Amino acid sequence: MKPFPARSTPALTLGFFLYVLLVLPAFSASTRKFNQLLESVVRIDVREVAFEAGARRYSASIGSGVILSDDGIILTNAHVVSPRAIEINVTLANLERVGARLIGWDHWTDLAVLRVDLVEVRRRSLKFEHAAFGDSNKLYPGQEVFAVGTPHGLTRTVTRGIISNNNRYFEDSRAVNGYETGAFNTWLQTDAAINPGNSGGPLVTGDGKVIGISSRGYLGANNLGFAIPAATARRVLEQLVRDGSIVRSYVGVVPGPLQDLENFYSLALNTGVLINSIDPGSPGMRAGLRGGDIVLAIDGVKVDGRFPEQLPPIQNLIANKPVGSKVTLSVKRGPDTRDFAMVTEKLESRVGEEWALEKWGVSVRKVSRAFARENQLDDETGVIVIGVQPGFPADVAGLSRSDIITKINQLPVTTLEVLKEAQAAYQSKPEPILLEALRNRRVSLYILKP
Amino acid sequence: MTFAPAWLRFSDASSIFRVCRSGIAAWFLCLGFMAPALVRGATLPELWLERQKSVVAVEYVTETEADRRPTVSLGTVIDAQGTIILPSNAIDPRAATWQLKDFKVYAPGDANSTPADYLGQDAYTGWHFVRVNEALRSRLVPVTAFAPAAGAKEPALADFVWGIGLRTKDEDFAPYIMQSNLALIQALPQRTGIAQREVAAPGLPVFDRDGYLVGLAASSFGQSYLQFAPGNRGVPVLQINVEESSAFILADEMLPYLGRVPKDVSGRPLAWLGAYGLEPMDRDVAKFLNLSSQSGAVVSEILEGSPAELAGLKARDIILAIDGKPLPQLKPDRVVVTYIEREVDRRRPGETLALTVLRGPERMELKVLLGDEPKLMREAERKYFDRIGFTAREFVYGDAIERRVKAGAQPGVIVHYVKASSPIAIAGLRQEDWIREIDGAEPKTFAEAVTKLSDIEKDEARAEVVMLVSRGGETAVLRVKLK
Repeated sequence: MKPFPARSTPALTLGFFLYVLLVLPAFSASTRKFNQLLESVVRIDVREVAFEAGARRYSASIGSGVILSDDGIILTNAHVVSPRAIEINVTLANLERVGARLIGWDHWTDLAVLRVDLVEVRRRSLKFEHAAFGDSNKLYPGQEVFAVGTPHGLTRTVTRGIISNNNRYFEDSRAVNGYETGAFNTWLQTDAAINPGNSGGPLVTGDGKVIGISSRGYLGANNLGFAIPAATARRVLEQLVRDGSIVRSYVGVVPGPLQDLENFYSLALNTGVLINSIDPGSPGMRAGLRGGDIVLAIDGVKVDGRFPEQLPPIQNLIANKPVGSKVTLSVKRGPDTRDFAMVTEKLESRVGEEWALEKWGVSVRKVSRAFARENQLDDETGVIVIGVQPGFPADVAGLSRSDIITKINQLPVTTLEVLKEAQAAYQSKPEPILLEALRNRRVSLYILKP
Repeated sequence: MTFAPAWLRFSDASSIFRVCRSGIAAWFLCLGFMAPALVRGATLPELWLERQKSVVAVEYVTETEADRRPTVSLGTVIDAQGTIILPSNAIDPRAATWQLKDFKVYAPGDANSTPADYLGQDAYTGWHFVRVNEALRSRLVPVTAFAPAAGAKEPALADFVWGIGLRTKDEDFAPYIMQSNLALIQALPQRTGIAQREVAAPGLPVFDRDGYLVGLAASSFGQSYLQFAPGNRGVPVLQINVEESSAFILADEMLPYLGRVPKDVSGRPLAWLGAYGLEPMDRDVAKFLNLSSQSGAVVSEILEGSPAELAGLKARDIILAIDGKPLPQLKPDRVVVTYIEREVDRRRPGETLALTVLRGPERMELKVLLGDEPKLMREAERKYFDRIGFTAREFVYGDAIERRVKAGAQPGVIVHYVKASSPIAIAGLRQEDWIREIDGAEPKTFAEAVTKLSDIEKDEARAEVVMLVSRGGETAVLRVKLK
């Protein structure tokens, strides 16, 4: 900016100083910080393995991420980088590419943490910037925000919008590559354009502070995008860096908003959370809880779950306890109120470990405890067929997707190892193998023939 | 060839008309060759004219909460009392017998109908029995009049066979002839003749060259075609002719069972084993289990409190023999299940079924004292609530099995029908949902639930009702706004 002419009126001078002191320095600092943010946003190229159709298949995808420390910690989405990733490459803002590895992921909040390969960074003397978190709790609807990322592979795209809603509830049982998400946090909604490939990139304020991680949008809608708030992201990041995973406690209570039902349950306003459902076999069910019960307090902490967006903090009251903790719920049922005590279990996903038994042309997923309960199976024995390869022994025998293999040569399939060992034995000495499988609760026998 | 059930409703299809016209044309062409072979001097048209009197069209109405749905099916007259048998798929098994109304019988080519009574379904044959009023009886001839002499040979391969089809109601159910040759006989498990092409409408008799009964047409098989259209390279499609069939059970599988007229419209008594999910095994599995020349069926689940449970049958047992008779190897594999089901269905409650089963490596003999089938869904009590907008159905044994809960007395009702845009539909309830609580209380019996719902329905001042609803193992509290 060119200096003003020397001869000027005092008023003008004053105005000039005010401008310089208040506006210009702020603007330049902001620009600097925003540029620093841009320098810390990366493109992430992932190659991952999928156990589809009875074989290992590899696929590639692109996402975004933001570097948050000088030792190369990157925050992105769990649906961008998951444990299925076998190769992760990060493109820094200066267009240099460097490898990275997964530190940990948490599909419940759709967040994953990577670290760039520091050995490679030092060897090649690569430089990168890192960004800092802002306070997402102070955001207000209407506030200007920017999304930075790699939509459709277009590296370092900045789009602008406002916070459309700062407390959106968004639960989905299979949104993160088939994994559950959204029960333990609310989301920021923005109209900044978020497209496929933006995932994992930061949502920032004008001063370059990361206030969210862009994660999803309604395809086909106009600018309805969603981001995980920084308050959640910061906590998850710290825990993943420290422990590599996030362990939550679970009692099997599925809450629902009480909205408009206070009168029916004769409740004082802003009191209680409705239990919509109890998972079969869960600690809550064993303790005697039922759908339609009203939880008034959890371990003495009063809860208020009138609206959906109030549910995640209530869920966290239980989730944040160490696994195996005793939890007491004060529950109103009809006119009575009584306490139900239970011991928490570890929260598990419905999605179990996957594998491909390639000799037989069948890919499988372990039956998890949550899956077994959801499908009213007797126990966790078995693997779910998630794909068969045409013409291979499993296909020839008649197995098909969603069958549950429960026994192999009369041996219960309690772990994936049982199958892997059987396949290894088959490989060294091919002999017919008897499988027992469930299809819609019906038990059938199959022979895998060499 | 695939075995596939098909509805018998006659719909207008111009292509069918073309088929039957060309069929008649073909018949005229070959008439010259056949005429000398006919015995007793009767020509095929003469035989056809006489045997038409054994077939009828039966129309009835299924009354639901929302509408009255007419259905037409074809049947065969079996005695001088005007008794008519209809194939098992002539009536929707979910319909309660009290919903079936206004049975009417049309003679071929006749626009006028005669009222009839529905007598019920026989579990073993699957036939529905209907009896037409006096007025029409004199014009009918029971199909038994054309039964072959005792000890007569069954039709041989390539034998000429023919049968009758009836056109639609618009055409006064005009009769027409179909003819073919026997291509194959298969046990499904009933011995079934398969002709080269369509030979009779399902449910109507099939005759030989001399006019003797050789069988009763069953549902037709699916036929595989490739469908070509601009821009595609031939899509495989399965076509099922619902109006004409090339398959028929042989007379020996039909004639001995004509006397199985249900004593009660419910079709009871019904024998009950209580082994759920019988699954066939293929030959590879049989061979692996050292069952060389026979088949077996795996029992998936043993139902709670069932005769099978009392007899000590266990889930995953493999049934090998019934009354000492090894299960035959039938094709397709699935047929062995029908074989077992028929063995149960032809018995009565209180009779014994001796089973040989394989449990792990061990063979064991079990004697099952067959019970009486628990109340079926179609027999469950129902009550329609117009203002709330749904039909409540009594929770029966089958509901407990489906939902994997204890079969004893369960509270609440099942949503049998939801009226569109009704309060309950807007609240999100769906058919087959299980209403566990109404206004925070569990109705212990169906009667209690009906009383409660009736009170709510009558109470004009009432603004809402809160229900605890279970669907797929999950529950939800739903608010039904009445105002």
